[in-house]
Amino acid sequence: MSLNISIDGKTCTCESGEFLLEVARRNGFYIPTLCAHESLSEQGCCRVCIVEIVSGERSQIVVSCVYPVERAIEVLTNSEKVKALRGMTLALLQKLAPASSLIAGMCKAYGAPELPRLEARADDDTCILCGLCVKACAQLGTGAIAAVNRGIEKKIATPYDQPSATCIGCASCAQVCPTGSIVVKQDAQERSIWGRTFTLLACDRCGVILDTTEAVAYAATLRDAPPEHLCPDCRKQQVAQAFVGVYGK
Amino acid sequence: MSAPTHPSPQGSKRSGEQAAVEQRTLLVCCGSGCLATNAAAVADALAEQLALSGFDALVKTGIKRTGCNGFCENGPIVKVMPDDISYYKVKPKDADAIVASLQGEPVQRLLYRADDGKRVLRHLENPFYAPQQRIALRHIGTIDPESLEDYRARDGYQALEKALSLSADALISEVEASGLRGRGGAGFPTGRKWRTAVGFETACSYVVCNGDEGDPGAFMDRSLLEGDPHGILEGLAIAAVAIGAERGFLYIRDEYRLAQQNITKAIAQTEAAGLLGDDIMGSGRKLHLEVVRGGGAFVCGESTALMASIEGRLGEPRAKYVRSVQRGLWDQSTVLNNVETLANIPWIILHGGAAFAATGTEGSSGAKVFSLVGKIKRSGLVEVPMGSTLRHLIFDIGGGIKGSRPFKAVQTGGPSGGCIPENLLDLSVDFDTLTANGAMMGSGGMIVMDDHDCMVEVARYYTNFLAEESCGKCTPCREGLRHMLRILTDITEGRGQAGDLELLEQMGTTMRENSLCALGKSAPNPVLSTLRFFRDEYQAHIHDKTCPAGVCPALTAFSIDAAVCTSCGACVKACPAGIISGSKGAPYRIAASGCIACGSCREVCRFDAVRAERKLHT
Repeated sequence: MSLNISIDGKTCTCESGEFLLEVARRNGFYIPTLCAHESLSEQGCCRVCIVEIVSGERSQIVVSCVYPVERAIEVLTNSEKVKALRGMTLALLQKLAPASSLIAGMCKAYGAPELPRLEARADDDTCILCGLCVKACAQLGTGAIAAVNRGIEKKIATPYDQPSATCIGCASCAQVCPTGSIVVKQDAQERSIWGRTFTLLACDRCGVILDTTEAVAYAATLRDAPPEHLCPDCRKQQVAQAFVGVYGK
Repeated sequence: MSAPTHPSPQGSKRSGEQAAVEQRTLLVCCGSGCLATNAAAVADALAEQLALSGFDALVKTGIKRTGCNGFCENGPIVKVMPDDISYYKVKPKDADAIVASLQGEPVQRLLYRADDGKRVLRHLENPFYAPQQRIALRHIGTIDPESLEDYRARDGYQALEKALSLSADALISEVEASGLRGRGGAGFPTGRKWRTAVGFETACSYVVCNGDEGDPGAFMDRSLLEGDPHGILEGLAIAAVAIGAERGFLYIRDEYRLAQQNITKAIAQTEAAGLLGDDIMGSGRKLHLEVVRGGGAFVCGESTALMASIEGRLGEPRAKYVRSVQRGLWDQSTVLNNVETLANIPWIILHGGAAFAATGTEGSSGAKVFSLVGKIKRSGLVEVPMGSTLRHLIFDIGGGIKGSRPFKAVQTGGPSGGCIPENLLDLSVDFDTLTANGAMMGSGGMIVMDDHDCMVEVARYYTNFLAEESCGKCTPCREGLRHMLRILTDITEGRGQAGDLELLEQMGTTMRENSLCALGKSAPNPVLSTLRFFRDEYQAHIHDKTCPAGVCPALTAFSIDAAVCTSCGACVKACPAGIISGSKGAPYRIAASGCIACGSCREVCRFDAVRAERKLHT
């Protein structure tokens, strides 16, 4: 079912049940986000993508990334209330991740208050506990990292902060981290992540680095086939040559 | 043997018929509270004495171990039925006196002593019980929770039978007519929740009983699960019949071991008796119930976090723009009700929604169970009609403040509730009035505080609880609590700064408006409500570096007023630091150094000789 909603005065068409953030972005409205990722399921925890929804006399603050549009609504992406709440939320995030240049930039851009009275966590911290890494690891990797502890003690870690036996070193977690908080060290032979060092595997044909030995083996178990040590390009070439061998004469 | 001289409840004396055999039952309260004060040994001792007495010839006696009577501070409680005599603080060595009294006079020394010093014979004459109206608690303290027969003898499962004979629409209409609102805290109308759930066609649907009671000082649900497990199962079964669910879960806090045992046993009994299971009472409907042990987190009492926990995922809430009646357990339509809500359901079906709505106020019908605790003379579980005033609860039922000290505040609604000051004591206790005054009813916890409680410290305590128990998923709740706790700690330790209160309010607004779940949205309540009603106390801490209540150790020094001290020596025994000295006949004194300002001496002093003063910093 199609719906017409108003975003900052502009009429936008969307399907019932679509997330408000998608509708807004499609219509050229920029709403800042941190914990939303188009490939990972909904979270709604950073609370930066808030908008104000006005429906008659009532006004409500919602997080646009997980708010499904189900009726004709009037959306304000930058009302005074939104600005104040977003600014305070960003200011709180900056105290959590004082070393993150992304958060510092957003604080400046969105006029977050300074709040010198609040103590920052460790000076070099950049993690904003958005949880994207945990989601990525669960969906692409082996679920080697998780949110540990609750409340103000919460952190992202491997079990007991020890190098994880199940981690395959695929670095999906680092890939999705909005603040670049997960440290990955890599040279031609090795990759270190979450306290473990993995040997890298090169393509049998061209020598380009594929992934860690563990990640390649894990991918094979998903396909239920023996590990294939070819990069995507070489695999295409190999298949093409096989075709040529059969049909090309 | 002489004939018993007990007054019978009907007031008629025993007739001369020799053959008449009177049946007497000794009800021994075996709720968690009484078990902790040795109720099991009392029951054993009574059984032993009964066996020795050989009374069965004339007085047929039996012992029943019941659920919690709610007056735990006076436990173990033994009731003699049908004479309706209650004995309190019974010890195993009292068993012979109680057994002997079955054929003689009641044991005076074990009766409750009322405010006027008179002994109270009957259970319902006790000022703690007299004003109560028990609907949810109707069976507790009377039935044996481990006996299905006992429950069935008191209308048990008749409501389910009736529900099965009604159409889903008629059944839900009855609950709607009752006006019952969820007792877990949010107060959502139960009938409407069921009606909405029926409107969503998913592959299957589930019912869930939320027994993850986590508020400090609250034990309503524990008492219900322990003392009337079949009542809860029947309520849950009726909900399942209404929405057509064939599977249900009872999520019970893991610390509630006895509740889990009793519910598990009750499920087995009902399945064996054909009341639940593959064919509910011969109706051809199915309902399988399962107990799930709570994950040990306060936030798992939040419905979506609870469901995540049942599914085996991390107990974190999700945004509820799509409600769990539409997308709940395993993305199916799910009705989740609190234990106390379900306990009311069989009563409503049996007596009609209108009868339930006749009690209470217009917006909040029925009665509500409160756990009344803190600095109060009579503490425990009470069930009163909605709309009773706080004053009635605290001063009539609770008997007022311990030691007749001045009342200061009552904290309602659990850790994320608020503190209500004395001038609002005539507020009606219902969902809407409390919320309008910055507190909330929550699940029904009520903690009474006197002038020796520091409201800043109270706010710090609850904020600390929430900082530990928040799931930490969303920014405003987690970070807001982190900084609120730090600032409150600073204030209580004398490091408060000008501007702190405004900052607390600013963060509080962000948390209230922008948090993900109800826990986060209400997390600033302890701070905001105390700031609203007790702002001067905060200011005294910040600007004068003094704690007016004499609680915060960093700001308080204690001394003994020599003119008032009677040299009784109570403070010497209470002092954990061992720094109070003196002798009989001379006033005692607190040493200049070594005092940890715990306030124990002041709490035990019956003559108000211990003074709390501002600590002078050098």
